[in-house]
Amino acid sequence: MGSFVVQRLSQTLFVVLAAALTCFVLMRYVGDPVNNMVGQAASLADREAMRRNLGLDDPVILQFLRFLRDIVTGDLGISYRFGVPVSKLLLDRLPATLELSICAMLVAACLGLPLGVWTALHRRSALSQVLLVLSLVGVALPTFIIGIVLILIFSVWLGWLPSFGRGAIVPLGPHWTTGLLTVSGLKALVLPSITLGLFQMTLIMRLVRAEMLEVLRTDYIRFARARGLPMRTINYDHALRNTLIPVITIVGLQFGNIFAFSIIVETVFQWPGLGLLVIQSIQFADVPLLASYLVLIALGFALINLTVDILYAAIDPRVRAGLTVSRAGS
Amino acid sequence: MTAVPDIERPPGWFESDLLHDFLRSPVAVAAACVCLVLLALALGADFIAPYNTNDPASANVIDARLPPGSVGMMGGHFLLGTDPQGRDMLSAIIYGLRASLIVGISSVLLAAAVGITLGLFCGYFGGIADVIIMRVADVQLSFPTILIALLIDGVTRTVVERATHDMLAVPVLVIAIAASYWVQYARTVRGLVLVERDKEYVLAAKVTGVAPLRILATHIQPNIMGPVLVIATINLALAILAEATLSFLGVGVPPTKPSLGSLVRIGNEFLFSGDWWISIFPGAMLVSLSLSVSLLGDWLRDALDPKLRDAW
Amino acid sequence: MPGNLLSVRDLRVEIATRRGVFAAVDDVSFDIAEGEVFGVVGESGAGKSLTGAAIIGLLDAPLRLARGEIVFAGKRIDNLDAEAMRSLRGLHIGAVFQDPLTSLNPLLTVGRQLVQTIRAHLDLSPEEARRRAAQLLAEVGIPAPRERLESYPHELSGGMRQRIVLALAFCCEPRLVIADEPTTALDVSVQAQVIELLKRMCRERGTSVMLITHDMGVIAEIADRIAVMYAGRVVEIGPARAMLMRPAHPYTAGLMASILNMRRVDGDLSQIEGNMPRLAAIPAGCAFHPRCSVRLQQCDHERPILAAAGDTAAACWLAAARCQSVTNLQGPGRA
Repeated sequence: MGSFVVQRLSQTLFVVLAAALTCFVLMRYVGDPVNNMVGQAASLADREAMRRNLGLDDPVILQFLRFLRDIVTGDLGISYRFGVPVSKLLLDRLPATLELSICAMLVAACLGLPLGVWTALHRRSALSQVLLVLSLVGVALPTFIIGIVLILIFSVWLGWLPSFGRGAIVPLGPHWTTGLLTVSGLKALVLPSITLGLFQMTLIMRLVRAEMLEVLRTDYIRFARARGLPMRTINYDHALRNTLIPVITIVGLQFGNIFAFSIIVETVFQWPGLGLLVIQSIQFADVPLLASYLVLIALGFALINLTVDILYAAIDPRVRAGLTVSRAGS
Repeated sequence: MTAVPDIERPPGWFESDLLHDFLRSPVAVAAACVCLVLLALALGADFIAPYNTNDPASANVIDARLPPGSVGMMGGHFLLGTDPQGRDMLSAIIYGLRASLIVGISSVLLAAAVGITLGLFCGYFGGIADVIIMRVADVQLSFPTILIALLIDGVTRTVVERATHDMLAVPVLVIAIAASYWVQYARTVRGLVLVERDKEYVLAAKVTGVAPLRILATHIQPNIMGPVLVIATINLALAILAEATLSFLGVGVPPTKPSLGSLVRIGNEFLFSGDWWISIFPGAMLVSLSLSVSLLGDWLRDALDPKLRDAW
Repeated sequence: MPGNLLSVRDLRVEIATRRGVFAAVDDVSFDIAEGEVFGVVGESGAGKSLTGAAIIGLLDAPLRLARGEIVFAGKRIDNLDAEAMRSLRGLHIGAVFQDPLTSLNPLLTVGRQLVQTIRAHLDLSPEEARRRAAQLLAEVGIPAPRERLESYPHELSGGMRQRIVLALAFCCEPRLVIADEPTTALDVSVQAQVIELLKRMCRERGTSVMLITHDMGVIAEIADRIAVMYAGRVVEIGPARAMLMRPAHPYTAGLMASILNMRRVDGDLSQIEGNMPRLAAIPAGCAFHPRCSVRLQQCDHERPILAAAGDTAAACWLAAARCQSVTNLQGPGRA
């Protein structure tokens, strides 16, 4: 188990370093950083001074190492557009996105899992067929359309729920703000969470169903039936356990997807999170912001992958023993 | 215990069985019909649409935001209403459909071309290039499409000025989307090549001096068509969605030639004032397109090779 | 017949495919007595496994039990509801499947799977069930049984896993065990051990065994009576010795001849020409006639029925004719 963790950690490190390198290349060589910071009117002498100041004349390796040090200490540069440190911007918006993502994931898992199990165990019922068709539709619908339709129905026509913003938020400690402690905050979370989670929910439902059906066809399930074990035991103690393993890994990986799709949902609902920030940084060519977001995302993904791998090893005794069992989806 | 007993299949069953399955599945037939209709609409946009909305002169701001079924100041009929610039919605969504399809199909073709080539290369030659490319593919698969496309588009915007960027927007978009989807093709083709490469006829070809690549290609080709077709159809559905999403976010097609996604974006601001048609009609068109291609792709995959279910 | 543990009459298992409905098991009848080892032999696809599955009610769509009567310990079991069938399985009729590597749930310990099965049928406390499980493990020859209860299947060899499968099949003391290719997936050296174990456990408990296999060597070693199946039908059935020494049906004869005879080192390997027909292409009349070297005129349109042929019963016109002529020779007194 130990060597397994070490190996995965080193892979993670590799990915993060690669992302940092890309980021560095972007920031240093795309456009002229001096131009962007100083403006067109500055004199040549001023520019030279700035160059020396930023250390842009030093060897590339040195610059990269400095860049890495800056990242680790939290100095991610100054945003071109806002003029404030990027790290402050990111930290300000992070809680909003995280809260939204976690709620969406909860919605997706709490609905998707039971529905998937049910449609697998009752595959011939009419309700199952209906749910399956709906899930097909759910996968094909663009997230932003779902958001807009929900806004139309619940905000514009019925007026039950707000369609933009986070509602009233409450600070929790020095770095976090939450919308979970106020009524308007909770109301504001409903539509965005559902929008973000719907796609994931249909995905999880179909995945759980497919996996469970596959498990129910295996020899060991057949043997369990031949031994006269009650269906309850077979379905839940045997089949579900074996189904959950690939499902857990994929759900974990999907968390990364939720992060990406949150960009869309934040745009539709004007949710003040990281996603909205990123879109603006692209439109205004705010390189420090964009590049830092990239590194943050890469780090996040790498960490998620790592956690999922470790979780997988913790659950499946065969992986712990070092036997390679292919992870579903890879 | 034993598997289901085998039933003898006469040779050449592929075509007849597929057609048979197709005609018996109402969903597949319906989806295919819708796809064809939409394709015809897009191809014949210039003839079918009442107005050419890509021509700025065709729109009059006086006619802005008229509800469906209205008649404009100059007597123009607007079956589905108008947008904030006075453009006819019906024409706008037909042209938007064309834009969406152009980007979607181009990116699929590009992704397929790149993916298949890389797959052939990696499968046949192997070596360090193979390892690196497959590693990149693996890492890329764990990143969502949106981010990859955003990254490429974002970088291009920072490098290039606004005016040139508008001109380049569509090719960049196509490249960005294709960059996210080439992996499936490469993997599948590589797998097929690996299976065939070590077979005796290839070794024999090498020995007798016949170009082994040519023999390999002729043997692989019939096996490739099925899986590639399935991947391409599902790819098309995803590419259409990706383009729509990027355009909705404002980082897709330029505003001068709006696609369905950008139309929804424009209409989004007017939801609260009650002008629902500016968003809903393009949205509905988008959903029909995406749904019919998705259903067709799903059916195709189930019919041709249920094993591919694991791939997506 | 009275006194038989299991009685199968006119069993028919159908499979519904796109091209139509076919009979995978066609009019199969046989009996198994108490404590006897009944071998069912035939090539892959002959319908042997499906027969076993039909008996314990494990036929899944598109297969179904179309017709027939199955009587176990005096009671009909082919028409039981799902719950009644479930309580029958494991407790009265046990089963052993082919591949030990996939028969055990990889995520549960061996002990857990045993205790679950025991407590599903017998009213024992968890500790009592554990004790019984350890006893069973010892009986099937697993060393350090108490420790082994905590092992996962992947930690054990193929042979050990098959022993555990046997333990699971016997743990509730069933009266009949259906063993479907129990040794096929094992190494040759391990096969003999597992067969010995099976023999011993049956003898000690008086359990009957329906041994399904295509391995003639295994059958020759432990079967009391044998049925030979071909294309879903029983072509010959009788005492093991008679079947091995004096088979009446040409197919059985071919099967026996194809077992390598160590003494005839210089002879050619004998084999039967052709292949067993696919379900959709079973010939009219006798299913074997296209491959038969001694077929008669009527074999290609009249389906033979099981009839006495010497010490066995065979579905063959030639065998029936021979037996008839022998009877005629011997006079009307003998029948």
